[in-house]
Amino acid sequence: MSARVRLGRRHPEPPGRQGGRTGRERRGARPSVLRLAALTGASALTLSAVLATPLNPSPQQAEAEEGKKVLTVAVAQSVDSLSPFLATRLSSTSINRLMYEYLTDYDPGDNHAVPGLATEWKPSADKLTWTYTIRSGAKWSDGKSITAKDAAWTFNKMMTDEAAATANGSFVANFRKVTAPSDTELVVELKKPQATMTALDVPIVPEHVWSKVKDLSKFNNDKTFPVVGNGPYVLTGYKPDSYVRMEANKTFWRGAPKFDELVFKYYKDGDAAVAALRKGEVSFVSGLTPAQADSLAHQPDIKVNDAPGRRFYALAVNPGARAKDGTRMGDGDPSLRDPRLREALFRAVDRKTLIDKVFQGHAVDGEGYLPPRFSAYFWKPSAEQERGYDPAAAARLLDEAGYKKNGEGRRTGKDGKPLDYRLLCHATDPNDKAVGQYLKEWWGKLGIGVTLDCLDNVSDPWLAGTYDLAFDGWSVNPDPDFVLSIHTCDALPATPKRTGATDNFICDKKYDALYARQLAEYDPARRADLVKQMQSRLYDLGYMNVMAYPNAVEAYRTDQIAHIQTMPAKAGNIYGQDGYWSWWSAKPAASDGSSDDSDSTGVVIGVIAGAVVLAGIAAFLTYRRRTTAEDRE
Amino acid sequence: MTTEATPPAAAPGPGPRALARQRRRRAAAHFWRQYRTHRAGLVGLAVLALFALVALTAPLTVGSDVASVTDAPGRPLQGPSGAFPLGADRYGRNLLGLLVWGSRVSLLVGLLAAVLSVAIGALVGITAGHFRGPWATLLMRVTDWFLVMPTLVLAIALATVMSRSLGTVVLAIGVTSWPTTARLVRAQTLAVESRPYIERAKALGGGHWHVMTRHVLPNVMPLVLAQATLMVSLSILSEATLAFLGLGDPSVVSWGGLLQDAREAGAVSSGDWWYLVPPGLAIAVVALAFTLCGRAVESVLNPRLGVTR
Repeated sequence: MSARVRLGRRHPEPPGRQGGRTGRERRGARPSVLRLAALTGASALTLSAVLATPLNPSPQQAEAEEGKKVLTVAVAQSVDSLSPFLATRLSSTSINRLMYEYLTDYDPGDNHAVPGLATEWKPSADKLTWTYTIRSGAKWSDGKSITAKDAAWTFNKMMTDEAAATANGSFVANFRKVTAPSDTELVVELKKPQATMTALDVPIVPEHVWSKVKDLSKFNNDKTFPVVGNGPYVLTGYKPDSYVRMEANKTFWRGAPKFDELVFKYYKDGDAAVAALRKGEVSFVSGLTPAQADSLAHQPDIKVNDAPGRRFYALAVNPGARAKDGTRMGDGDPSLRDPRLREALFRAVDRKTLIDKVFQGHAVDGEGYLPPRFSAYFWKPSAEQERGYDPAAAARLLDEAGYKKNGEGRRTGKDGKPLDYRLLCHATDPNDKAVGQYLKEWWGKLGIGVTLDCLDNVSDPWLAGTYDLAFDGWSVNPDPDFVLSIHTCDALPATPKRTGATDNFICDKKYDALYARQLAEYDPARRADLVKQMQSRLYDLGYMNVMAYPNAVEAYRTDQIAHIQTMPAKAGNIYGQDGYWSWWSAKPAASDGSSDDSDSTGVVIGVIAGAVVLAGIAAFLTYRRRTTAEDRE
Repeated sequence: MTTEATPPAAAPGPGPRALARQRRRRAAAHFWRQYRTHRAGLVGLAVLALFALVALTAPLTVGSDVASVTDAPGRPLQGPSGAFPLGADRYGRNLLGLLVWGSRVSLLVGLLAAVLSVAIGALVGITAGHFRGPWATLLMRVTDWFLVMPTLVLAIALATVMSRSLGTVVLAIGVTSWPTTARLVRAQTLAVESRPYIERAKALGGGHWHVMTRHVLPNVMPLVLAQATLMVSLSILSEATLAFLGLGDPSVVSWGGLLQDAREAGAVSSGDWWYLVPPGLAIAVVALAFTLCGRAVESVLNPRLGVTR
């Protein structure tokens, strides 16, 4: 569930697990500066996009020469925090996945729970007490043994320290007590039954390190390296928006990764990342645009992976943001609380055109809430419930609801003012902008005005509720609990000053009742049915209008990566998986060394070409100046 | 916009007025004769006239429908063909039409921003040159501060803080690019003010306003005009840069915006040259044309430049 990531480009990417807000925040304000460096003259852009690459810092280059096998991955989404208690974005939760083992993992084939840190688990007869057997003999990367006490400490911390519950609090809200009777036994007592007990997406941290942390709300886990962990990779270096470096954990219980080092290198520009992939400077790029995917598909040594994504792409409506204490926040347009108006807006949206034109087929039509990839929970609206594309019906609805057109052809609200909405979009996400253009025209024909509010940092207006409509999207985990929980009243911020886990300030009693029932339901079929009812309710509310399920479009170099595990195994994604499978399983290709040489040749040629061009410009300018000076004399 | 635009309306009676008109007509003719001798200036002027024509007639030739995404006729990123001489953009819109339509915004923003920038520069320069003393010191320190600030960074900061609209872009460029003009105008003002007739005007009771508008302004006007022409090309480039960085209004078609769209769609790495080259060339050509004109105007109006050409 988390944040959308966008890969080098402003392409939202599938968010990772923990919740992150997708939409908000995907990137900070920095792209401008980076791009700026590459810019200079607008007409020189082609050159600059290419030049940007050799100019980028490449921290791993030095080590690469010592014969280490390095896997370099281009990423774009900034890390919000490397502390597993705080991180919610896809980029950071994916890194946490690699650093810390969870109690259970999802099988890469079919998503069922498989042993992680826990080798076995069993509930009591009343399903209120769960006993986990913790792997014995496994060690933290500093040599200390991993015990059940570490897990107990992690859960207890989240239950007692509000800061520690920031990212994953929803998992422990229902815990009564967590104890570790022995080094290999973890006992969790619940207040009520909880269906997510084999899908607790909570990184377990070493108590002997983390108990020394004074204020978890301020600790980002990025100061002292290497960071003690027990996942397949150990974090050894991090520079914000520059790189994240990880070294293979040779003692990882499932087997050491085949690459010695894993580097996430930042490319804020999608085309720069693709250029780096072409030259072999990075081995993997995700979030490709259709044009990039098409051109890379014909490239030798590059494999394009276009798989159904685990993310939904939606249009969120501000339901009149409120805090838990009832205080109104933000300034969402009150007319949007009229369900007929919301229905009319969405009936004017032609999702098919969006899929064809914006995603160019690299997405699936959006209907319910959870993507079809999670077939057990997938739901679509029935024929009479569905808000299909029908602009005439939309106009009729608006007429009936009393939103008449004025002299200029604009619909007016109850206060007599023309309807005009702000649509919050991510300045760095081309899909947002493109879809925004379509919405603007469709709604313009209805007589409703829209202003595209494209910001680099959408978090602030989002959290404050100062928007009318917004682009939204979350990655969904195999267990949908998290993405469902973010629409409950419980997720609202306690007071307007606080931050809640809520996605869009939705608070509906019927939905909440269904949520509580599904969480307490152990029977998979009955739970799936409840989850579908929840989606139906959410659909009827009309505050979350899913438009598409974008595919994960990514590419990697086959001359550097011989094999990599997708998840699910058939037609699955690589970046932002529900687990560490892809990077853990990646096998280096035999020819890795030779391609390194060609890389550096490429860089050298690039630098020389750049220098020649610069020298030419300088010579020309000098000549120009001299002639002017002569003329002046 | 040839020579000075200030009517010396203070002169009483219709006789002097007619005289002044005659004099101005003569000056204009003289200016044109001089300008004609600059071949580069003529080329620039011709190119500008062509672009102005294209931009002004765009509603008749392509119409605003060309920017509509819902009625886009082509396939996304379609290559050049008979129906689409320059191919189609990421929405399937006709790129040739967009290029024509985008010229309106690029030229408009370029001109407005240049006017704003030169107006601020002239105001600061004249007042600083006229009043001297602490006022001038203060103004010039502010000018220096803006001068050392990297213009683009400041413009980006401004465009980020304010809402995304054409006005914002004009303001961001205008407010950041005036210091050069201010410095130039101040120098010229100082030179003009030291002439004896200014002293006489003062002795006859001419106030600050009178001296600045009736005597200084007409004399710095040639400089201001030349500067304005040169500034337009800078402004067009800045507009394109800001739009390319994604700081423009995304729903407005401009050349820089087209480049930004192209980059976002991945046209650079997939080699879709038809998306990138035409707007880039258009920007370069218009900027060049304005520079050529500006240089020619400058050498005609400034006796210390270009006499030998």
